[in-house]
Amino acid sequence: MRNAERVVGLMALVSLIFFISGCAKHGVQQVEGPTPPSQEEVITGTPDMELDMPGSEGDVSAAPQAMEEELAKFEQDRIYFEFDKFNLTADARKVLAEKASFLNAHPNLNVRIEGHCDERGTREYNLALGERRAKSAQDYLIFLGINPDRVSIISYGEEKPLELGSGEDAWKLNRRAEFRILGN
Amino acid sequence: MKKILSLMIVLAVVFPSVLGAQRVHIDIEARGFKRMKVAMPAFAGPKELADSVWSQCAKDLEITGAFSLLDPKGYINPGPISFIEPGTLKDWALIGADYAVAARVERQGAQVNLAVQAVEVSTARAVLNTVYTTKADSVHRGVHAFMDALMQKALGLEPIFSSKIVAVQKVSKKKQLYTMWCDGTGGAAIKGGGDLVLNPAWSFDGKKIAFVSYWKNNPDLYILDVRTYKVELFSSHKGINVTPCFDPTGTRIAYTLSKDGDPEIYIAPLGGGTAPERLTRSWATDISPSISPDGRKLAFCSSRAGTPQIYVMDLVTKKVERLTFQGSYNSEPVFSPKGDMIAFIHLAEDRRFHIALIKTDGTRMKVLPGTGRGDESPTFSPDGRLVAFSSSDGNIYVTDFMGTSVVRVTDTGGFTEPCWSPLME
Repeated sequence: MRNAERVVGLMALVSLIFFISGCAKHGVQQVEGPTPPSQEEVITGTPDMELDMPGSEGDVSAAPQAMEEELAKFEQDRIYFEFDKFNLTADARKVLAEKASFLNAHPNLNVRIEGHCDERGTREYNLALGERRAKSAQDYLIFLGINPDRVSIISYGEEKPLELGSGEDAWKLNRRAEFRILGN
Repeated sequence: MKKILSLMIVLAVVFPSVLGAQRVHIDIEARGFKRMKVAMPAFAGPKELADSVWSQCAKDLEITGAFSLLDPKGYINPGPISFIEPGTLKDWALIGADYAVAARVERQGAQVNLAVQAVEVSTARAVLNTVYTTKADSVHRGVHAFMDALMQKALGLEPIFSSKIVAVQKVSKKKQLYTMWCDGTGGAAIKGGGDLVLNPAWSFDGKKIAFVSYWKNNPDLYILDVRTYKVELFSSHKGINVTPCFDPTGTRIAYTLSKDGDPEIYIAPLGGGTAPERLTRSWATDISPSISPDGRKLAFCSSRAGTPQIYVMDLVTKKVERLTFQGSYNSEPVFSPKGDMIAFIHLAEDRRFHIALIKTDGTRMKVLPGTGRGDESPTFSPDGRLVAFSSSDGNIYVTDFMGTSVVRVTDTGGFTEPCWSPLME
């Protein structure tokens, strides 16, 4: 019994290795290839195919797990703002471009953008500033082609700081927009 | 004397009525105003009770902004005494006292009697000689009546202590409404408004509180009936529904919505029925409206000139004028109850946020020292003589316009966004 388990485990491992090396190879080809992709590659080259490999229980859960990691990354990558500003920095636009491609790849997901401020300035004004930060991010996602219906915003002003404490080290992390995935 | 004590609820034996001559007009320009010095030896009566009543009186004396307590260490007779003997007046004069106050606190069943005597030292006239009787659990109300009477009879000032402050209280990660008398006594949390409430604003009759709650996962506007605790949803447009302000007639409410793309100020009838009227039109942030007591003007904060500044709109002609030009950050304007000035938050030269005052014609801007640690959310006392605000330590303070008196009202921290009510019955 124990041996049988080992064999199955080994087979699973081998098939997993084959799978991974296959993926890697595929990836390398894509990166290196100066030639236009062949038709076959276009067909199979959709991002993150979810191959259901026979007899490989690990892989069945691997796909959702990868998805979960992507979702976590999506929610953890925040954008940051200057004091009393709501315009997007170059870094922020880069992050938003990644978000747009993720949202394009997952048309069933919606996003809610939360606008936040540091503790400086008045609470009331910061409610407006947080709103405008979220709106900036929303506008840019829409500009990048995301359907406006998929992007909602909410302002928390200075009410939900990420970092407690005073000083620029905390403030720069608190002047931010966060991204929450909403299922649909 | 005992018989009188037991019979009367509140007995005011006002000795030959005083003053008139000393009536003080205090405003933003009264730079020369000197606070009256009060000697107040320990009160007579059961020690624990007497001391706690004395402490509240000492705090409230400072809150008035009109009196300051002389340090008991300098008293020839530190008490406890229940009566200022005429022969001792020279002792009180010697330490510079303008008034001497003595009191006796007594338990009487479920009630407490606070028998107070206040004497004007220079003339030996009794300003106040009164017994205040309250239930044992609301002795602070007796102190409030005493303080209001002292302010009125000694200096001709209007009462303030029968007024409340509503604020936001942070408890662990939640924020809830909290009301207290303006000296911090009788505090009570108002629970059940969701995890995050903000921007409480009292109606001019003290019967309603408008506030923001994220109850439905959006900053929406609600109105609370203070008597019944019934809450009604007032505004839940897409985007922010924040910074409510009642107009003095109690029929309208001004607030900020972003439903048209960016934060703009709107006004709507309280009963609903008609769509809110949009008052501001600018690409910039417009927020924090305050309606003047005559209902004709609206002060607000706008970033239309690049930085947050205070503007005033004529509500009839809709003409807007910029009020503040000093500094790079002026926000949260509130009209004084007399309508002659506006308090707001100003980023001062020390790079801290301070309470500032300015005449409604844009002259005589004055920055108050406050706590010096970052002050926010100014709100006027009912008589317009004092300003309460919250500081970065999470406590609420009251200051006069000279800045000579900055008194901490709360002790526990966690408080923000105070709003001072009108006088209550």
